[in-house]
Amino acid sequence: MNAPFSSWLTRIAPGLKELVSLLRKHYDYVSVLSTDSVGFSVSISQRAKSVTRETMSTERGTVIRVYRDGLYAESAFTGFDPEKAAETCENIVRELDAQLRLLKSAGVEAYETGILPDEERAVFTEMETGRLPQDEDIAALVETMSSVSGKGMEQGKAEGLNMIDFMVRASSTHVCKMFLTEKQDLRQSYVYSDGMAAALVAGQERTDMAYTSFSGRKGPELFEAIEEKIPEVLRIAKDLVSADRVVPGEYDVITAPEVTGLIAHEAFGHGVEMDMFVKGRALGADYIGKRVGSDKVTMHEGALCAEDVTSYAFDDEGTPAGDVTEIDRGILRAGICDALSALRLGVKPTGNGKRESFSHKVYTRMTNTMFDSGTDTLEDMIASIKKGYLLEGMQSGMEDPKHWGIQCIIDRGYEIVDGKLTGKVVSPLVMTGYVPDLLGSVSMVSRDREVFGAGACGKGHKEWVKVADGGPYLKAKVRLG
Amino acid sequence: MADIKNAALNALLDILKSSGADAWEVTDREESGWEFYFIRHRLDQHRAKNLRAFSVKVYRKFDEFLGSAGAEIPCDASAEEMRRTVEGLCSDASYVRNPAYTLNKPCAAGENETAQENPDIEAVSGNFIRTLASAPETETEDLNSYEIFVSSIRKRFLNSEGIDVTAVYPSSMVEVVVNARKDGHEIELYKLLESGTCDRETLARELAETLAYGRDRLVTSPTPALGKMDVVFSTDPARELYWYFIDRLSTGMVYRGISDWKPGDIVAPENLILKAVKFLPNSSRNAAFDAEGAPIRDLDLITGGRAAHYWGSRQFSQYLKVDDSFIASNFTVSGGTESEADLRTGDYLEVVEFSDFQCDSVTGDIAGEIRLAYLHQNGKVTPVSGGSVSGSMAEMAGTMRFSKELRQYNSLLIPSVTRLKDVTVTGAENG
Repeated sequence: MNAPFSSWLTRIAPGLKELVSLLRKHYDYVSVLSTDSVGFSVSISQRAKSVTRETMSTERGTVIRVYRDGLYAESAFTGFDPEKAAETCENIVRELDAQLRLLKSAGVEAYETGILPDEERAVFTEMETGRLPQDEDIAALVETMSSVSGKGMEQGKAEGLNMIDFMVRASSTHVCKMFLTEKQDLRQSYVYSDGMAAALVAGQERTDMAYTSFSGRKGPELFEAIEEKIPEVLRIAKDLVSADRVVPGEYDVITAPEVTGLIAHEAFGHGVEMDMFVKGRALGADYIGKRVGSDKVTMHEGALCAEDVTSYAFDDEGTPAGDVTEIDRGILRAGICDALSALRLGVKPTGNGKRESFSHKVYTRMTNTMFDSGTDTLEDMIASIKKGYLLEGMQSGMEDPKHWGIQCIIDRGYEIVDGKLTGKVVSPLVMTGYVPDLLGSVSMVSRDREVFGAGACGKGHKEWVKVADGGPYLKAKVRLG
Repeated sequence: MADIKNAALNALLDILKSSGADAWEVTDREESGWEFYFIRHRLDQHRAKNLRAFSVKVYRKFDEFLGSAGAEIPCDASAEEMRRTVEGLCSDASYVRNPAYTLNKPCAAGENETAQENPDIEAVSGNFIRTLASAPETETEDLNSYEIFVSSIRKRFLNSEGIDVTAVYPSSMVEVVVNARKDGHEIELYKLLESGTCDRETLARELAETLAYGRDRLVTSPTPALGKMDVVFSTDPARELYWYFIDRLSTGMVYRGISDWKPGDIVAPENLILKAVKFLPNSSRNAAFDAEGAPIRDLDLITGGRAAHYWGSRQFSQYLKVDDSFIASNFTVSGGTESEADLRTGDYLEVVEFSDFQCDSVTGDIAGEIRLAYLHQNGKVTPVSGGSVSGSMAEMAGTMRFSKELRQYNSLLIPSVTRLKDVTVTGAENG
């Protein structure tokens, strides 16, 4: 089925178009983004159960972007009454003018920017989904998830684990967004879902959480396979409770696809967000056309690169979804860009202008950030390592685009000695290094690849949005602590 | 005007009362905010926001079980949409049955009154703009960019037990990126500062400190592989160390089996005192009641290094037989007997800037990449960067030392200097 576009947005569209016309009397450019996204989250464990009709993307509201005298401003609000467009217009103008008076009194100068182009364009997309979150049988889902939680506990105990709990979370969102200007009318509707299964286990001296996640641009049908995650979670739990600390040092490693994705995200995801180029905050600006990795490294970024949680038809500024080749066989080719940063840099926007919600500002943000596949097999990669680790599971990451430092906290390292996995596990691991050194050390790349979209990404320490990333297994040299 | 404003809320309350729900809670949240974004002191853009939504939770009773389900209902939802949502929640609530607990009831008069701080958004914004414009920049250290967020939040909480309380409070945030440069090389440091309104003196001090760190980062050497080393925390990452104690005393963590701490257990150094407090000057989290309508009060969580009380939500608190708990929002840590100078003796690594310092409250693991640290070794001080620190609070908490001097980070007032023993320090270079 196709995910139907919001009837609420359809109802208020004429009023918003009137608002755009009224605001155009005051401003040289006006656009509207209005959202109406619904969904659910269900969490089930042996100790507590919860259900809410909220996810990190559920929202309803409107943001207006206006331009005058080289300066952009925005007004975000809830409660738009399509019969009162003139009143809304007055309120917006009055409040933004009050801000300008304050800025003038403080002697603030504008960072002058050109006007965004506005060309005739219409998009109406209702993407395919198996089911809709608003129609989901929550009773059946709760029953399934409770059964999985119970089986996870039983199987964990049977395998000798000191189980505290087995948790399952499922979240599904039907996103509807409408972007309007004088000449554009863009409407999209799609569904994405994600979830996780986790075991809380007591070891000899500490408690550990083992988890795995799943995601897709799919409806709640994604959760039909949750039970299949139990063996993987229990395998990870057993590895964690037996893990030692790593001896700090530099090692040859193989990164599993989720760790590869974390590296992609932190290294040349944030590193080439071009709003950072505008501020002079990214070293990447000086490296376009230059080598930043080995010949084995090719990376893509864009909503069209994969079908996952952030694979939309247009971004929050109305720019069509893209597919940017960021690194081509080790050479940095291009960054990703929102519309205002593109104007300032004299380049084309890439469809990466995203907001945390309608009430937040647009920044250049990632969508699907992926390493390309190679020609090696995982078996050959393991066989090639004299002493090192296979790195699996990610906890978090942080980048420093100005200095190209990278920090990744990895869940587990599986020891490899003389080309064989020894069965010894270390956890957790802090992987740090200089991005070009890390990517320059990539010497083998596997044929398969996976994408992961269960997490979220912040800009600095705020502005959380859904992203996906991934790739194949990579062999590289990194520093572990 | 008030009637028009309350019409949607009143309609929702009527629907809840006739819905068949055995109990319900509603939070009517309104936020008015101004935002200003700067690139090198020039205005990138300015924004205004006026938001309102209702958070609703309905409950269904089933003998010894209680089911619940929640949703956010838009303020412009029609009566029919509200009714449909509430009906759906009543249905959802019947599927997720937890052991029964009761909702908060109205408390004694005055217990949940709050100073209604309705901030002048324009004046607070002006203070932030002017303070940031006058940061003590030099030719080699300056502000790359900054973002200012100023909001006035009005929150009204009602439940089926008769609670109807309102809080109005300010909430502000500033993000600052600092650059420092030397001989063609430029670095940046990042700060995210939260507060109630603009405390110009504190903000100016934070900016000056960050600019000085920027200058020092330019002259760093790679962090050597130090093996085990004492590490001193004197800036905002220290918050993560104290959240370890706070989190592990929350009823949610205890009930779920993540924390096994019990009142009376020795969980911290013997002089450590951790309190939940109702009010901290200029905190953005000062409120008289929590998200479930429970009155917030001062409460000892750790005294003399022993766990004293839990804090947390109504549900998990009742499961642990704690009837008078609440979701705390401000915390203080004190009891230090040593001075900052006492803690800065001998050999140690003082890390002032991490890429991202984390302490996992489940495992106790700490980890972070070093952006700027001062290595004090053999009487010499060397600024270093790169490499990482790692260890476990579960192992190190007992020997943690902390200063008697305190420093506030919005809703946390903690020792200004904290020293951990035998932390693993991985070098930035091989070896």
